[in-house]
Amino acid sequence: MPLAKGREPGYIQLAGCQLISYMSSDPLSSTLFALADPTRRGILARLATGDATVKELAEPYEMSLAAVSKHLKVLETAGLISCGRDAQWRPRHLEAGPMRDVFEWLESYRQFWDRSLDSLAEHLKVMQKQKRKAKHRAN
Amino acid sequence: MTATIDISSLDRPEIIITRLFDAPRLLVWTAITDPKHVALWYGGPGFTNPVCEMDLRPGGAWHHVMQAPNGTRFTINSIFEQIVAPERLVWRTIKDPTRNPAPPTSVNTITLEERGVQTKWMLVSRFDSIVERDLTAKMGFGQMISAGLGRLAEHMKRL
Repeated sequence: MPLAKGREPGYIQLAGCQLISYMSSDPLSSTLFALADPTRRGILARLATGDATVKELAEPYEMSLAAVSKHLKVLETAGLISCGRDAQWRPRHLEAGPMRDVFEWLESYRQFWDRSLDSLAEHLKVMQKQKRKAKHRAN
Repeated sequence: MTATIDISSLDRPEIIITRLFDAPRLLVWTAITDPKHVALWYGGPGFTNPVCEMDLRPGGAWHHVMQAPNGTRFTINSIFEQIVAPERLVWRTIKDPTRNPAPPTSVNTITLEERGVQTKWMLVSRFDSIVERDLTAKMGFGQMISAGLGRLAEHMKRL
């Protein structure tokens, strides 16, 4: 539950950020889902430069505020962004933790295949050598 | 040469890993589809594969047991979905009912492409449910990797 830390339950309604799966036990999958969209990645890139309001975040996109809000909800659900306490502007803030988790997971998956493929490359050399030997013998 | 993950593939969401091998395509195909060969490289240095049985046809089973350097065994059961020699291999991993939480299941496609004297190997992994990816992080690949790295670190000390 990436958003659980330091957030009193009442905050959810007060801030108007609907944290649909606030009780989600699966932060990594919601992070992956959240990242699987260019608009949402664009929003994250913008927030990496500093907090911003919904209106500011919507500016580069040719879509309604409502559509942008939907993307923000997905990002909030994944714990990738949080809502500021300023009741009027509710600036969005980038949360780095879940992003780190997903990249760590990707890294371990890559390492598994990296190690396997190192061994496969070595094994292919052995196979080629054996093939050459067999050919030599046949001649 | 290291494998590369295409992060943008999360669009779908899939994970893509590619690698270039200095070997003809037919040889790479044999190395990834003949269980005698697969058992010799799968998992990487320090890992062994006490069981590797492949029934290479659509619907055929791939029964695999991989052993980490620390002795931990991982059972991986899969079903082949598509075999197009020597260019395309598709298999689906199936859930291990004896393990809780069970390792994640995925549909994996390896494509082999001729690049002159080299062969481009590409793996596309599509996890059935992104929920299951979370389990991988908790007890799947992470565990396998750390088991392997621990052994490697020990080995390095002895050199």
